Amino acid sequence: MKIPEDIATTIVDPKAYAAEDPVQEAFTKLRRDIPLGIAEPEGFDPFWAVTKFDDIQEIERQNELFHNGDRASVLTTIEADKWVREVMGGSPHLVRSLVQMDNPDHFNYRKLTQGWFLPQNLRKLEDRIREIARTFVDRMAELGSECDFARDVAFLYPLHVIMEILGVPEADEPRMLKLTQELFGPADPEVNRTGEDVMVDPKAGFDAIFETVAEFMEYFNEMTEDRRANPREDIASIIANGEIDGAPLDHLAAMSYYIIVATAGHDTTSNTTAGGLWALLENPDQYQMLAGDRGLIDGFVEESVRWVTPVKHFMRTATDDAEIRGQKIAKGDWLMLCYPSGNRDEEHFDEPFKFDITRSPNKHVAFGYGAHICLGQHLGRMEMRVLWEELLPRLKSIELAGTPRRTEANFVCGPKSVPIRYEMN
Amino acid sequence: MSDKDFKTWQCRTCGYIYDEEKGDPDEGIAAGTRWADIPEDWVCPMCGTPKADFDMVEI
Repeated sequence: MKIPEDIATTIVDPKAYAAEDPVQEAFTKLRRDIPLGIAEPEGFDPFWAVTKFDDIQEIERQNELFHNGDRASVLTTIEADKWVREVMGGSPHLVRSLVQMDNPDHFNYRKLTQGWFLPQNLRKLEDRIREIARTFVDRMAELGSECDFARDVAFLYPLHVIMEILGVPEADEPRMLKLTQELFGPADPEVNRTGEDVMVDPKAGFDAIFETVAEFMEYFNEMTEDRRANPREDIASIIANGEIDGAPLDHLAAMSYYIIVATAGHDTTSNTTAGGLWALLENPDQYQMLAGDRGLIDGFVEESVRWVTPVKHFMRTATDDAEIRGQKIAKGDWLMLCYPSGNRDEEHFDEPFKFDITRSPNKHVAFGYGAHICLGQHLGRMEMRVLWEELLPRLKSIELAGTPRRTEANFVCGPKSVPIRYEMN
Repeated sequence: MSDKDFKTWQCRTCGYIYDEEKGDPDEGIAAGTRWADIPEDWVCPMCGTPKADFDMVEI
């Protein structure tokens, strides 16, 4: 069944994700009327919009039947897909990270760093992460009684943690943040590389993303040389010196590995941290409950992840004819996994539009599912838990001091500004 | 079997830990349920990985 044009246009519109209500209303209609339908927004190849929690899990679980890498793994216009293929020798991907890989490469490349991100290893890092969290809480206190929580804390804290793990010097963190925002916010003139509306000149917008990726690669190429000569205890050394089947990582895959850690490794956590506080302050009963019972911090973190769902979609391509929800999916079909929709699915969550830090169970799809489930999920949870453990006891009062705003983006999206007023101990 | 014998098992894909002592009540598995007593068709509640792809770990 075909999805009405206005809804199809909304679910790819960066501005609709920034406003959030339009896109959630569109998804609610789709879950009710066309839970799995074909969208054909202008400028895009047709794709299936997968809006139900169970369907997202069923597709992600079958990672041999639904590939990440056969077509673009994120929404791409027909024009941009053509430009990417021209530049990349026919490949639909500008980078080749875990997100664009299928087995056996995905398994082999993921295995290289998986150990770093398991709970038992992260436990060793917790004291250091707590030290970092404290410095940001102290900085918030030094700022007085008002700050932009997104800009002053939420963007910078996970950035510092992942850059230390990766091995990027602190002096380069602002550059890494800027490049990340350019990559994930290409449609938002406030954060993209050109400062222009990409709808006016899409080719200039594409060229800007290409320049951002090239700048990342130039930076990490130097880092590879350094770590090959002087290996350290960091992720960069693992990527630089790692081997797959007895050979070094191929160049594009190695550069892409650095890039995914240096971007997805903080931006998603930043979005969830800022969005979690925003939701908490709009729900004072939840804040009072949390302030009175720190045992609810884990629940607050999990509900923040569900609520914000910073990754808005990934695409899959059917490798063979398949059937989902009674619909025939043809080999080669492109499918959009709509995570914000799955995480508001009325058949899976009671009162899905209620921010509830006591929600239990709270099994969501914000980290994905199956073989491609987020590698950094345990780190993200730990960073947020530690920050709240440090910040909450210091707060005497806190409230919104303006209207928060989200980045205009249809892939990774969250708050870019959360103004707050507060008193601290 | 004494409480000391409780073991922990970890999903190779996502790192989820099944602790026999705690079980997973959210998933309908009572505290104290041994790994061997979990059905063979059970899958990781976080990522869907089959039971066979779990390793026993010491945490």
